[in-house]
Amino acid sequence: MIRLVALRLALMLPILFGVSIVAFTLMRALPGDFAQASAGTTAISAEALETIRRNLGLDRPVWQQYLGWLAHALTGDLGTSFVTRRPVAGELLPRLAVTGELTLIAGLMAMIMGTATGLASARLRGATDWMVRGLNSLLLAVPNFVIATLIVLLAGLYFPQLAIFNYVAFVADPAGNITGLLLPALSLALTVSVTISENTRAAVLEVASQDYVMVARAKGLRRRTILVHYLVRNALTPVVTVTGLQLAALLGGSILIETIFTVPGMGQYLFDSVANRDYPAIQAIVLLSATIVLLVNVLVDITYARIDARVSYE
Amino acid sequence: MTAPPLLQVRDLTATFTRGSSATRVVQGISFDIAPGEAVGFVGESGCGKSVTARAIMRLAPEGTPLTVGGSIRYRGQELTDLPEPAMRDIRGRRIAMVFQDPMSSLNPVMTIGAQIDDMLRRHGGLSRQAARRRTIELLGLVGIRDPALRADDHPHQFSGGMRQRVLIAIAVSCQPDLLIADEPTTALDVTVQAQILRLLLRLRRELGMALMLITHDFGVIAGMVERVHVMREGNIVETGATDTIFTAPTHPYTSALLAAVPRLSERGTA
Ligand SMILES: Nc1ncnc2c1ncn2[C@@H]1O[C@H](COP(=O)(O)OP(=O)(O)OP(=O)(O)O)[C@@H](O)[C@H]1O
Ligand SMILES: [Mg+2]
Repeated sequence: MIRLVALRLALMLPILFGVSIVAFTLMRALPGDFAQASAGTTAISAEALETIRRNLGLDRPVWQQYLGWLAHALTGDLGTSFVTRRPVAGELLPRLAVTGELTLIAGLMAMIMGTATGLASARLRGATDWMVRGLNSLLLAVPNFVIATLIVLLAGLYFPQLAIFNYVAFVADPAGNITGLLLPALSLALTVSVTISENTRAAVLEVASQDYVMVARAKGLRRRTILVHYLVRNALTPVVTVTGLQLAALLGGSILIETIFTVPGMGQYLFDSVANRDYPAIQAIVLLSATIVLLVNVLVDITYARIDARVSYE
Repeated sequence: MTAPPLLQVRDLTATFTRGSSATRVVQGISFDIAPGEAVGFVGESGCGKSVTARAIMRLAPEGTPLTVGGSIRYRGQELTDLPEPAMRDIRGRRIAMVFQDPMSSLNPVMTIGAQIDDMLRRHGGLSRQAARRRTIELLGLVGIRDPALRADDHPHQFSGGMRQRVLIAIAVSCQPDLLIADEPTTALDVTVQAQILRLLLRLRRELGMALMLITHDFGVIAGMVERVHVMREGNIVETGATDTIFTAPTHPYTSALLAAVPRLSERGTA
């Protein structure tokens, strides 16, 4: 088990290395750079542009720039923002915490909604199955930013006392912080819950037809025992996989949702950084997001091994 | 026979309905099983043996509507219209069942011990510790070595033969009156088959339970049961004492089945 985790963690390094190269070169392949972006529409002399570039090291070949960045990154220094001239890490971490919290709440919501509806759909069949699947298709057809906009509009119309756009820091007001994130989390969670719901339904139906469930019934076990120990525990493995994969989608989705709900997370920061061509900031965001997604995958694998004893032997 | 039958089946029919089409796969069969008696059901694949067993246990496969007609009486009590909770008290406790495929019949995410425990705690009302002790005893009884150690293993750590032993331990754990064994050896290789049959024979004697042994192979029946019902296309076409059926079958279908058994004489009594 420990070996499995160590191996998975070690495998993250080459992947992150690859990600860093791709992000680094892609950014520089974009038209324009920080010097032009900061000049905006004001006329600026070619020499002035060159000075800015030279000061930031943007005049060197890309591979030299990359090696310079890598050398610092390996010591834990993610560089300085072109815009604010402050260390990127210090700017990013508070925002990451906000996005992390939003993603976590949305993930929990999606898991609860998805597994509950999927389970009900598979066990009760009939009208419930119909309703759940109908609702799922509907939600799947509507992108989550549309859902978010609808939620904002409806909440504004019918519950004006709900302060949707008032983000408060967790340390200042924990309860207010969490309730403030509920609506953005809900609009994020709905689309993901559909995937979890459909996968739970399929997994439970698949498990229900297994011989060992027939054996459990032949033992005269109570319905609840069969549901919990035979159906759900076996259906959990595929459900954990999709949930883990969906966390990456949640992270991506939160960038959009944060902009709609004006939540001061990574989304807004990424948007501004790209607009300004703030290379060190973008590079740090990409790398951190990739690390999080990879860590979640390792977590999924550990969960697997905890659920299903066969995994750790393979 | 003076003793009242343990199980009395009369005009049993079983019908699968899919959409508007209905297929009757058991065509009104009748038979008795006396307390402690061993009865064989033999017939080719698809003749309705498993459906008969499931009809007695009231276990339709998930998602397929199976309609059962006729009468099934256990110690005089009608089972076909028994409420489901009462039927759950019969399943496993009074009538237990062993299935064909041991590889897929155990829950892969639960330990072997836990799968015997849950049965004991359901029917015996045993405490956690008492159930654990009994589980280890049962694993020893069916011939698992180091039972206290192996109880914490998962099914994938057991061979097919060992898994079938575990499933037999589960089935006999609450000392049922009737054990239905549906092709208990079909999925196993020949040497293991003989071991499992010997185990069933021994347990039946020690626990004094009746046995309904279902198979498509006359070779399995020899030395195991006193009476045989030969089934074909949902009907019982011949019934008789095992010796009589082997030496003087009256139905041509029985003769054909007997002719299909390889090296019958070599096996002798299992
Ligand atoms: N779930 C089901 N839905 C529809 N028909 C079924 C179902 N299960 C079994 N049948 C049909 O019922 C008939 C009897 O099946 P059964 O499983 O009892 O055969 P069997 O005698 O046990 O054969 P085998 O030796 O292969 O196990 C077969 O014709 C089969 O096609
Ligand atoms: Mg069968």
